[in-house]
Amino acid sequence: MNLDNGQSLTVGGQDLTRNGSSSGSSSRYPWEDAKKVMKPSTPTRKPQPPKPENAITIAVSSRVLFNMEKEQQIYEQQGMEEYIRYQVEHESEPFGPGPAFSFVKALEAVNARLRELYPESEELFDVVLMTNNHAYVGLRLINTINHHRELLGGSQDGPCLSLPPHPSLVSSPELFIERFCMTGGNSPIGYLKAYHTNLYLSADPGKVREALEEGIAAATMFTQEKMKEVSDTQLRVAFDGDAVLFSDESERIYKAHGLDKFFEHEKAHENKPLDHGPLKGFLEALGKLQKRFYGKGQRMDCPIRTYLVTARSAASSGTRALKTLRSWGLEIDEALFLAGAPKGPMLEKIRPHIFFDDQMFHVEGAAEMGTVACHVPYGIAQKVSRKAGKEPSAPK
Amino acid sequence: MASSCYGDALIRRIKEKASKWIYRNPVPGPDGTHLNHHLPKSGLRKKDADAVVVAVTSDAVFDPGADEGDAFRVGLAFPLLQALQRVNERLLEQNPSESLLFDIILITTSSQRQQQSSQIMRSTRHHGLEVGRFCFSSEDNFLESLLENNVQLFLSTDRNETSQASQRGVLSALLDQRAASSPSEQLRVLFCGDTVVQPNAAGPMSTIQHDAQSFPAQLGKMRQRFGMLDSPLVIILMVSQGGRDSCSSALQVLRSCGVGVDEAYCLAGAPQSPILSLLHPHFLLSDDFGELEE
Repeated sequence: MNLDNGQSLTVGGQDLTRNGSSSGSSSRYPWEDAKKVMKPSTPTRKPQPPKPENAITIAVSSRVLFNMEKEQQIYEQQGMEEYIRYQVEHESEPFGPGPAFSFVKALEAVNARLRELYPESEELFDVVLMTNNHAYVGLRLINTINHHRELLGGSQDGPCLSLPPHPSLVSSPELFIERFCMTGGNSPIGYLKAYHTNLYLSADPGKVREALEEGIAAATMFTQEKMKEVSDTQLRVAFDGDAVLFSDESERIYKAHGLDKFFEHEKAHENKPLDHGPLKGFLEALGKLQKRFYGKGQRMDCPIRTYLVTARSAASSGTRALKTLRSWGLEIDEALFLAGAPKGPMLEKIRPHIFFDDQMFHVEGAAEMGTVACHVPYGIAQKVSRKAGKEPSAPK
Repeated sequence: MASSCYGDALIRRIKEKASKWIYRNPVPGPDGTHLNHHLPKSGLRKKDADAVVVAVTSDAVFDPGADEGDAFRVGLAFPLLQALQRVNERLLEQNPSESLLFDIILITTSSQRQQQSSQIMRSTRHHGLEVGRFCFSSEDNFLESLLENNVQLFLSTDRNETSQASQRGVLSALLDQRAASSPSEQLRVLFCGDTVVQPNAAGPMSTIQHDAQSFPAQLGKMRQRFGMLDSPLVIILMVSQGGRDSCSSALQVLRSCGVGVDEAYCLAGAPQSPILSLLHPHFLLSDDFGELEE
C-alpha cells in the first residue's frame, strides 16, 4: 500500500523523512531541529531497571497508558497513513492519561517504598510499553512520558507543556518507563514472553485473548469517561473470583444448571480447591511483594492492598473461595461477598486502581461509577456476550 | 592471483572520464554465460549515485561445507539475498525505470574460493540468485576490490574480514546463524542504537552524520518508496543498554538523516538474545562490533 503512486511518505506535501540537510523552511516539524537538540546519552541518575526475570513485569499498550481516542478514530476512519501523518505532526503534544495511567503511577509508588527498604533488590515492578504502533509514533510516546515526569518540578529542557495537569498527576512520583517494544504491527506475544510478563494490559481484546491462551495474565482496558480519584500512596487491586482468580468451573455449573445447583455443588465441594484462573499468578506476585513489607514490620502501612469482589455470598459459596485461596497460600486483604448485588457501589468505596472481571456487565457497571475496570476474556461467560458489535483493533 | 571483477577493466576506463558511471551490458563469463541477464539492456547509465552496492562473501552465500555435485549448497545468507532481490523486484514493479536498487556483488575472500569461480557462478545460477557482479579476490586483495567497486555495505560471516573492511572505511556487518532463519520476502535491517553519537571507523551512525549517500541514508530513501504496510524493507532500531532518552536520540538521529524506523525496541539492560531471536534481522548495523551478545 503506497502513497502518491509509490512516492515518498508525505506530510502535507512534504517528505516525512527527508534529509535534514535540505534547505530549511518553517519549523513546522519539530524534529527538523533534531540535530541541534541532540546530545550524547548522558549517564543517568535514574535507577537501572531490574532484570526481567527478577521483576514483576507489567506490559501496557500505548492506548491504555495514554488517551489516544482521537488518534484511534483517525486510524479507523481515515486509515494508517493519515494516522501516522497526524501523529508525527503532533509529536510534541503529549497525550493525556489513559485508564492504566494511575495504576502505573501507583506501581512506581510501591517501587519507591521497596527501594527504601531493599536498596539492592531487583524484586520490583517493571513497566514495559508494549505497543503494536509503528515507531513513527515512538517520539510522541517518549515525549509524553517525559512530559508527565517534568510536570513534577524536574528539568526544564523538555518539550513544552500544552495540557493542564490532570489532578491525579500532580503529587505522584514520576512515570518511570525505560523499556518498550514498538512492533510496527507484529504480534506482541513473543515479546511478552521474552520479558517474563506477569500482566499485560491492552485495549485490543484479540491480543488479550492471545496472551491468555499463552498463559499470560491479561485484561482488556477501555477508555472511561469517569475515573474517580485514587490513592497515590497505596496500590489497590481488586479481583473478581470465578474465571479471574479461579477457573470458570463453578460458573459453568451456574450457567448450565442454575443458582440452586450452583449452591449445592459449591457446598458439596467446599473443601476441594477450585482450579486456578488466569490472574492467580498476578495475585501471587502481589502477595510476594506484600510479604517484603511485612518482613520489615510494615503490615499496617503496606502500600499494596488486594480485594476480592465476588458475586458469591459469604454465607455459602464464599467459603469455597476463601478455602481455595488459603490452600494456595495466598492472602487477600479484603473479601467482599456481594451475593449477586451490583459491584459498582462497593468498588466506588474501595477505589481500586484496577478491577478485573470476566463479565462485561460488571466491568461496565464499575466503569459507570468511575472505577477503572478491565475485562478478562476467559471462560464460559465469553460465549454469552451481552454486546454484539465490532471490536476495534489497534493500529498495526 | 590478482583479483578479477568482471566489468573491472571497463570500470577503470570509464572512471577516467566520469566518476560515477558503470557499463551495464551483459558481460560474458569464462564459460560463455551472460551474467547480468536480468538487468535492463541499456547502455551507459548514471548508476553509482543511485544504486546501493552490497557485497556478500561467497562463504556466506554458499555453505563452505560439502557441495552437492555440481552446485554448492546454499548458506545462511541465502534468505538475505532473496530478500534483497525482493526489494529490487518491488521497486521495479512500482517504477520500471527505478535506479535506486541494490547492486549485489558476490565476492570471494580466499585463494581457495578464488579458484572456484566457475563453480560459484554455476551455483549462483542453479539457485536462481541474481548477482550483479562477481569479484574473485583472495584474502590479500579483497579489500581493494571492495573499495574499487564502491561497496557501501560488506557482509561476511568472518569477523576478521568485517573488522578489516571496517578499518578501511567500508561499512560492514557480521552475518550469523540468525540470518538463516530470517524471512526471504522482507528485508529486515537492524540498527543498534546505543552508540549514537560516537566517532568511529565506519559505524553506521557516524557515517550517516556525514554522508548523505551513505548506506543508511540510501536505505532510508528506499524505504520511503513503500507505504507503512506491506513493505519489503523494514528498518528496526534496538537500544540495548540505554533507556528512553537513548531511544529518543537514536530515533531523531536516524530520522534527521532520512531513515524512518518501523519497529523500535528499547531494552534498558534487559537480555538481548530473547528479543533478537524474535526480530529476525538479516544483519545488524552497529558502531560497536564486539559488544552484542553471542
